[in-house]
Amino acid sequence: MKKVPLDIIVMVKQVPDSQEVVIDPVTMNLNRSLTRNVTNRADENALEVALSLRDKAGGTVTVISMGPPQAETTMYECMARGADRAILVSDRFFGGADTYPTGLTLASTISKIGKFDVVVAGEESSDSSTGHVGPGVAEFLNIDQITYCSHVDYKDRHVIAERELEDGTEVVKTPTPVLVTVLLNSNFPRRQTLRRKIDAMKKGFEVWNLEKLGLPPEWVGVRGSPTIVRRMRSIKEKERAAKKFDLSNLGNLVSELYEKNILKLEED
Amino acid sequence: MSEFDAIVVGAGPAGSSAAIKMANAGLKVLLVERGDPPGTKNVSGGILWGKDLSQIIPDWEKTAPLERFVERKVTSFLTADSEISIDFKTLKFSTDRTGYAVLRTRLDQYLSKKASQAGATVITGITVDSLHMENGKVLGVVNEEDTITSDCVILAEGANPRVAIKAGLRQPPGDDDVALGIKQVYKLPEATINERYNLRGNAGFAGEYVLSFLEDDVYAGGFLYTNKDSISAGVVVSLSKLRENGKTRSFDIMEKFVSHPFISRLLEGGQIQEYSAHLVYEGGYSTMAKLYGNGYMIAGDAAGFSFSNGMVIEGMNYAIASGIMAGEAAIQAKKEGDFSDQSLSRYGRMLEESYAIKDKKTFRGIEKVTWSPLVHRIIPRIAENSMMKLFNETGEPKDHVVRILLDSAFDQGISKSDLLIQGYRLMRRM
Amino acid sequence: MEIEEKLALLNYKTDNQYAHITVNPKICETCPDHFCTFACPASCYKIIDGKLNFKYEDCVECGTCDIACSHGSVTWTNPKGGQGIKYKFG
Ligand SMILES: Cc1cc2nc3c(=O)[nH]c(=O)nc-3n(C[C@H](O)[C@H](O)[C@@H](O)COP(=O)(O)OP(=O)(O)OC[C@H]3O[C@@H](n4cnc5c(N)ncnc54)[C@H](O)[C@@H]3O)c2cc1C
Ligand SMILES: Cc1cc2nc3c(=O)[nH]c(=O)nc-3n(C[C@H](O)[C@H](O)[C@H](O)COP(=O)(O)OP(=O)(O)OC[C@H]3O[C@@H](n4cnc5c(N)ncnc54)[C@H](O)[C@@H]3O)c2cc1C
Ligand code: SF4
Ligand code: SF4
Repeated sequence: MKKVPLDIIVMVKQVPDSQEVVIDPVTMNLNRSLTRNVTNRADENALEVALSLRDKAGGTVTVISMGPPQAETTMYECMARGADRAILVSDRFFGGADTYPTGLTLASTISKIGKFDVVVAGEESSDSSTGHVGPGVAEFLNIDQITYCSHVDYKDRHVIAERELEDGTEVVKTPTPVLVTVLLNSNFPRRQTLRRKIDAMKKGFEVWNLEKLGLPPEWVGVRGSPTIVRRMRSIKEKERAAKKFDLSNLGNLVSELYEKNILKLEED
Repeated sequence: MSEFDAIVVGAGPAGSSAAIKMANAGLKVLLVERGDPPGTKNVSGGILWGKDLSQIIPDWEKTAPLERFVERKVTSFLTADSEISIDFKTLKFSTDRTGYAVLRTRLDQYLSKKASQAGATVITGITVDSLHMENGKVLGVVNEEDTITSDCVILAEGANPRVAIKAGLRQPPGDDDVALGIKQVYKLPEATINERYNLRGNAGFAGEYVLSFLEDDVYAGGFLYTNKDSISAGVVVSLSKLRENGKTRSFDIMEKFVSHPFISRLLEGGQIQEYSAHLVYEGGYSTMAKLYGNGYMIAGDAAGFSFSNGMVIEGMNYAIASGIMAGEAAIQAKKEGDFSDQSLSRYGRMLEESYAIKDKKTFRGIEKVTWSPLVHRIIPRIAENSMMKLFNETGEPKDHVVRILLDSAFDQGISKSDLLIQGYRLMRRM
Repeated sequence: MEIEEKLALLNYKTDNQYAHITVNPKICETCPDHFCTFACPASCYKIIDGKLNFKYEDCVECGTCDIACSHGSVTWTNPKGGQGIKYKFG
């Protein structure tokens, strides 16, 4: 059978390290002074899906991200994991975008790249977690989408994906071009290597601005965003009831849970 | 043809200093760091004695992320109920600056950025697995399946030098070579720190403590340094003493230090932001291996260049100094096109002539004294005893101070001649 | 403050594919001192039900256990690049 190489695009977002996010109690804003940025974890899984499809079918993997210049670390990281090309879409006009212009900007970046067979996104970002952007991009590009995939395969111009549902798994087969969104932790992302990272630094990544995309400034960023955040409240975490148990006496724990009706036995 | 003139393993103070030095001279340098970003794996107390930095970053005092300069320095013996200290402060330090308190994630990122600006290729988030060697000559580094070649490799991996050990270039450290450093960072408002430690502006407090209140024979030193709006408090625990004791957990010693009545009030209201631990080299000169060979040099902690007497820890300064010297040796080697053992012996000679090694020689064997019962138990008890006799109102006439001291010593079961001999030994080594 | 609470403050990028430290349960079974449980500052070594239990996830990569264990049970390697402890202050 003839191999048909795939052109794959992965959408990757740089987010504040979720383990370090500190909300300033006075201003309610994210205190970014201490927070470092990392690659959205689900997007590492998305990249792994793309790379394994390329392993199988051959072709190219291009990473795109909309974000500020400091997202360069994410660009190099993705290349060091194996992406062939990375494009950072960056311009002050893009600032303050909600999911709508984010999707539009990314879709127009993909159109500008031209040829593609599969677009891969993470299921959601760890900082805003709307999960809108992937499906939004599919709509803008007017292509099919398969969301929340736990496994993605490719055969004969079709993507075959497993979707994790509440009561089971669904297997979906869709002809390319198609957009898939990938579940967090659904695979083991391959590691960055020194060789690939050196090559990435030598090669560099591309930076595209608004002009390059040719979109009107009022369509992107905060001006293109229909949502207005009116107010933010921080949630007061309630102390959870906690109890210490002796690990050597798990029986006590089990019987107490059973008595309190938290734990049920099969025959109940 | 090698891909790089030099590969530096580790972007701590030693590695980044070496990389800056070499890149400034036009060498093709690769600096590889496993932490991402640099500094995220590292722990110091930490007071930076940075004068050597001026050689590679002339304006470091203006541009580096320095928290506070040391104006007030306290050295203390802590017993269960008492603190006996020397509290030294001088206005002279505001012009003749001494050390600066630093936090490593900030310092290391600053230094690695300088290396990158100087032209080095800085790669973070990658662990060097091993060296590529042939017939005892180092030809490059290995990561996963790939080999990257260079004319020389500078190993600046820090106190746990796995690559050097794996290649047989360094002995694995033992109980007597290293101590365990544990540290906690507390958040406190700048104004509270200034008030509590009697400081103004950028001035800082550096406290070092002998924890003689610890039960059994666990020996540990403590430190407490002020940052801009946080405090670094930590302990250095002797591993051999911990092993002898066999029932105290290292992290409990940290808790005991910060719970001591005179320490806890210095930290009051502070919120713990971070807990960390790292090895500290404390062996004297004798633990240092051969630090160069065909195509390689070892610098900083990886070479055993730090010094700790259980209270004061120095290492960043030696790391910087040795990194610069290794860089200098590589620059000369590049000029001559010769990276052999013979050529790199230049590094060994530079070290010999430098204060880094001289200090090591001066302090040779110091750990035997500073981790001794004299420092950790006897002196503190004598001092406490004498102070009580001097200042306690008993209604009886006071003796002469010397008499009180000697009597207190005698109370502790030490003969006068013993005390004199031990005291003399300590003085000579300090 | 308990050690568990202190460790909870820390940021790790845990590597689910690779344990950078492993112990040999056979050797630990007959260990006379369990010094690792006293030495490790992150309480990664614990005796549970009379057996040594080691978990690398809380490790702060200090290297102490490799020296502490004098029975050759510990195999110590650096975590893979970017994985493991990520200090904020250091
Ligand atoms: C507190 C807060 C509240 C907000 N409220 C709203 C709101 O109510 N409505 C609204 O529309 N917006 C809102 N936003 C902004 C918005 O959610 C995001 O910034 C948006 O631009 C990206 O959506 P997301 O992060 O939820 O991505 P998701 O849709 O969760 O991301 C899914 C996937 O899309 C891809 N992706 C997402 N962003 C990018 C990117 N920049 N570059 C490349 N790939 C990307 C990744 O593959 C990612 O895994 C809010 C932001 C904040 C911080
Ligand atoms: C609790 C404590 C308090 C201290 N207080 C002070 C103080 O007040 N003043 C002072 O001067 N010194 C102090 N020190 C000592 C000081 O921290 C060290 O001497 C100093 O950090 C040594 O610098 P270095 O560059 O040699 O090694 P490190 O700073 O340890 O840097 C080594 C670097 O190499 C990286 N690395 C290691 N292996 C690899 C690999 N295989 N691949 C890629 N990268 C690798 C590490 O991630 C690290 O970034 C203290 C130490 C401790 C633990
Ligand atoms: S790791 Fe070593 S010290 Fe710890 S229980 Fe096993 S053999 Fe004993
Ligand atoms: S390296 Fe340090 S923190 Fe990690 S398991 Fe060993 S002793 Fe514990």
